[in-house]
Amino acid sequence: MGTGLTEGAIHLSAADLMVSALLVVAAGIVSVLFNLGVERQLAIAACRTVIQLLLIGYVLRVVFEMRSVLALAPVVLMMVGAASLAAVGRLSRSFPGATLQAFFTLTLCGILTTLLVTGAIVHVKPWYEPRYLVPLLGMVLGNALTGVSLCLDSLLERLDRGRAEVETDLALGATRWEAARDHVREGVRRGLIPIVNAMMVVGLVSLPGMMTGQVLAGEDPFEAVKYQIVVMFMIAGGTAMACSLGALLAYRRLFTPEHRLNSDLIRPARTGA
Amino acid sequence: MESFSKSRAAHEMAGSYGGGSVPLFSARGLRLEIGGKKIVSDLDFSLESGELLAIVGPSGCGKTTLLRALCGLIPAEGEVRLEGLSPAEIGWPRFRRSVTLVSQIPVLVGETVLRSLERAFRYRGAVNRLPLDRAIELLGRLGLTEGCLAQPAQALSVGEKQRVCLVRALLLRPRVLLLDEPTSALDEESRNAVEALVRFEAGQNGLLAVVATHDREQAQRLCTRTIELGDRGAPASGSAARG
Repeated sequence: MGTGLTEGAIHLSAADLMVSALLVVAAGIVSVLFNLGVERQLAIAACRTVIQLLLIGYVLRVVFEMRSVLALAPVVLMMVGAASLAAVGRLSRSFPGATLQAFFTLTLCGILTTLLVTGAIVHVKPWYEPRYLVPLLGMVLGNALTGVSLCLDSLLERLDRGRAEVETDLALGATRWEAARDHVREGVRRGLIPIVNAMMVVGLVSLPGMMTGQVLAGEDPFEAVKYQIVVMFMIAGGTAMACSLGALLAYRRLFTPEHRLNSDLIRPARTGA
Repeated sequence: MESFSKSRAAHEMAGSYGGGSVPLFSARGLRLEIGGKKIVSDLDFSLESGELLAIVGPSGCGKTTLLRALCGLIPAEGEVRLEGLSPAEIGWPRFRRSVTLVSQIPVLVGETVLRSLERAFRYRGAVNRLPLDRAIELLGRLGLTEGCLAQPAQALSVGEKQRVCLVRALLLRPRVLLLDEPTSALDEESRNAVEALVRFEAGQNGLLAVVATHDREQAQRLCTRTIELGDRGAPASGSAARG
């Protein structure tokens, strides 16, 4: 069904995309046959996938062509904003200011990690070259938001359910950090589990999306592997930074300078996930 | 035991109280409200070393809340002072090592009883290591054997945990002990042992204890002064009365 080859990549036509939609239709048929009741969600999700990706495709084309920081800034802001909302939206418990903290955490860690890779490793010129910066930032944010979400969920659950233990430590003269550190550590550990697991099986169980994309685009597999190694390390570093910073900011918010746990701030999230 | 009385601030505070000597533990204008319900309003008291103060009242009147406020685990209006110094001047962790709360619901953090006792001596502000001989002595006075130190903390009954928590607090050698229903899970024999130990520590070592209890007989038996908390909507005010 390919319509032509350009620099090793097979370009897809609209007809190709229509054929691929048949796979989603097949999934819908399975849902109807087995009475799964997910056909409506599948249809909505498929439509959103097409619309969102086409939109971002057009936006990125414009941003890539403009090659300007001013054009890039709104895209980065939107990416970080969406990641922050997603990170906090998945929590079963939350606290006032959680979204703002997530935004700060993901902005700082996402941008720092990405700039380190584009500047010091890939040597992109100019440093803000959108063709590199946007996809790399997207990969860092996508993984960091999952990490931050798992980390905060664990931390808030432990502080909420384990309030008696925390207050016992405080009542016996522990500082707020001494009372919180086990819970903070466990939160960060939980946040890092997905990326550590992914690094353990990468190449054995699945080929990561970016590497697959490069290979499909005609890149030499070994060159794609080198990029993928950098990406995995970048994701690990970014996620670790984001989990640590996210947990520390939450700790500072929930423990007062009087070395007191402000457990009233921990509330069930509105989504009730 | 740590002493704070020689500091300059303490002597300045003595002047502001209008007396020559600084009380060991005092509250002034203490106001406490939880969820719109007044627990105490304008509560004043001054307590000296060796005194035993009872906080009595029916369930739900706020005895636990008041104890938590006295050691700063929850905020309250007014001031609490130790030897004339505010917790902020002393430093909150250091203040709580001197004004130590023993909760009604006993919590032991650590795999074994020994580990849970040691935990409090691993904090940055701990001045010494776990005095094992004294731990064994105190456990014995409360009817627990040395063997319980090696037991898993979670294998203990609630009553045993309650006694271990009291021992843990006493091992820190606090100036003030805040006891929340300290014998609620104990039989008569263990209850008598706890009361005897608290009396002994007050008489021999100058421990000041504030005991929250719903048991008026226990308050009369054990304590020399009383604060009466009212029913819901009738908060305590004024000063602690001498029994």
